[in-house]
Amino acid sequence: MKRNKHIPLTETVYYILLALFEPAHGYLIMQKVEELSEGEVRMAAGTLYGAIENLLKLKFIEPVKSEDKRRKVYVITQEGKNILLLDCERMKHIIATTKEKLIEGGI
Amino acid sequence: MKKTKFFFNLDKEEEWLNDMAQQGLVLSKKGIKYTFDQVNDKRLIKIDYRTFKSKKDLEDYILLFEDSGWKHLAGNKNSGKQYFMKKEAHANEDIFSDQRSKAERYKRMSDVWLNSAIAYIPIVVLLYQMKMIDIGSILNPRSLYLTPGLWELTGSSFWKAFLFETPFALGRGFVWLLFPILIILYIVFIIKARMEYKKSVPDNDFKGY
Repeated sequence: MKRNKHIPLTETVYYILLALFEPAHGYLIMQKVEELSEGEVRMAAGTLYGAIENLLKLKFIEPVKSEDKRRKVYVITQEGKNILLLDCERMKHIIATTKEKLIEGGI
Repeated sequence: MKKTKFFFNLDKEEEWLNDMAQQGLVLSKKGIKYTFDQVNDKRLIKIDYRTFKSKKDLEDYILLFEDSGWKHLAGNKNSGKQYFMKKEAHANEDIFSDQRSKAERYKRMSDVWLNSAIAYIPIVVLLYQMKMIDIGSILNPRSLYLTPGLWELTGSSFWKAFLFETPFALGRGFVWLLFPILIILYIVFIIKARMEYKKSVPDNDFKGY
């Protein structure tokens, strides 16, 4: 099977997609990413804006209507969920294989 | 206070603006010239490069920066360069959190110039079709002078008539050259921006963001 060319996702993209299971605007995404990663991933505004544009282009996220007229709000798409799942499976395999090797190696 | 300067490299421009800010002069407007306001707080200034389809898109972009502690100092929807000043202590130290997204400013810059260069091509084609582009006049500049009997005149009466007509002759013969020159200038900018991009983007194969 040919592997999806967007896999592996970067850590920031992965967290942005996770953050968008509920609709959120840009700054809220930044806060959620920080929270979900336990403070490990702190995105700056310019980087996040570029990432959002890129994810919109890939149709992994889409804009949704909201009460906030000035800030755009986004949510993950089905395609976004699919890619997240694919990457999760990939990581699961890595983790399982690593554990096996570590046990074999006696660490 | 106003100053005229041209920067190609965004890091150097940031450096200069931060030096000015250290002297209490903070950018307040950027057209052809930089306009500075005298202020008391000296804060970090950073530059992004982005154009927008609509005013609404620009507003959404500015709000994201404001929410995260950066004040928009100057820039409009078509200006490309967007200037920000750190206004809150909790804000990050930069408007980019990785090297790749920072480098991509130059990629957007080169795309904007590419579009400008492309926009001039129909003008050149049109001028050519209207026979405004006359290669022959470069080889025979005399044909551009229309004063009857000019070339038979001698001495000071020749020079007077010749110099009088020269600006008109240049206008007739070479105004079209402006457009190819502009296109070439844009191509130089495109290549320079691509080089800056290549220089600053991380060489490994990891995808962006």
